[in-house]
Amino acid sequence: MTEQHPSLMTIALTWFGLLGLTLLTSLLGLVNLGAMNPTVAVIIAAVQASLIALFLMHALKGPALIRVIAAGGVLWFLIMMVLTLTDFITRGWLLPFGK
Amino acid sequence: MADTSHLELREQFSTPEQQRESAISGMWIFIVTELMLFGGLFVAFTVYRLRYPAAFTRGSSEMEYWMGALNTGILISSSLTMSLAEYFVAQNKSMRGAILLLVTILLGAAFLGIKFTEYYLHFHDHKMPAFGFEETGPFAPQVQLFFVFYYVMTGLHSLHLLIGIGLVFFMFVPTALRSLNAEYHTPLDNTSLYWHFIDVIWVFLFAIFYIPGAHIR
Repeated sequence: MTEQHPSLMTIALTWFGLLGLTLLTSLLGLVNLGAMNPTVAVIIAAVQASLIALFLMHALKGPALIRVIAAGGVLWFLIMMVLTLTDFITRGWLLPFGK
Repeated sequence: MADTSHLELREQFSTPEQQRESAISGMWIFIVTELMLFGGLFVAFTVYRLRYPAAFTRGSSEMEYWMGALNTGILISSSLTMSLAEYFVAQNKSMRGAILLLVTILLGAAFLGIKFTEYYLHFHDHKMPAFGFEETGPFAPQVQLFFVFYYVMTGLHSLHLLIGIGLVFFMFVPTALRSLNAEYHTPLDNTSLYWHFIDVIWVFLFAIFYIPGAHIR
């Protein structure tokens, strides 16, 4: 495995990007978007998390094994979230047997 | 002269690179287990958020919004100093790296200071479940549930940050002594991964707890 530390420019740009997104989500939070408020905030948080993982945690330029581990973690989390919500949201869609 | 015993190649590895890759991969696997730990709480929060949207928005409106935003900026900046420390140590500028690790510790401590100030303000406003919680609105039990999630999830995050501060201090000493340098800095890289993961968790906590009710304060 070769050393793949990000350059100073990459680190600085990532930091500015993260701060900009924090400012964006903080200001958007003050606007009433209804049910979209938390949705937009979580989408922005996901972009921030991606920036941190790809550039500061070296997932982008690190060995492929790290990307496989990280992607596996995210996939398993999404399985947990999606299957739980599928159960929760669809409860009551079907009538009980015999009705 | 710096202690080089840690550079010794363990018998199960063929090359130092393989040894390093194993250490980094192991840390990533640990981080995935941490993701599952927090993930379960995020899933539970999402289910109840969908079940009681009005109550959870009401609970969110009680957050100290700008303190949360400031803390996000502080933690992101601590990730900057951590990355810079990692960069400079890899460039064999260990002393510069040690100073940046110290700044990282201070930023982490500042985050915890602000977080516990928030807890105190909530306690003062009777928004701490099991400690005289008061809510008069129509969704009082559900608002209390929101605060249970808030304390459990941010409390678990704060505990991780406290451990992170300990780990960074544990790295500060060998970095200042130049035992961690361009030739060998795997423990510092792994500590950095842990620190950044704490940052990742926080940006989601800020999004789900502080944002939904910010506009009705």
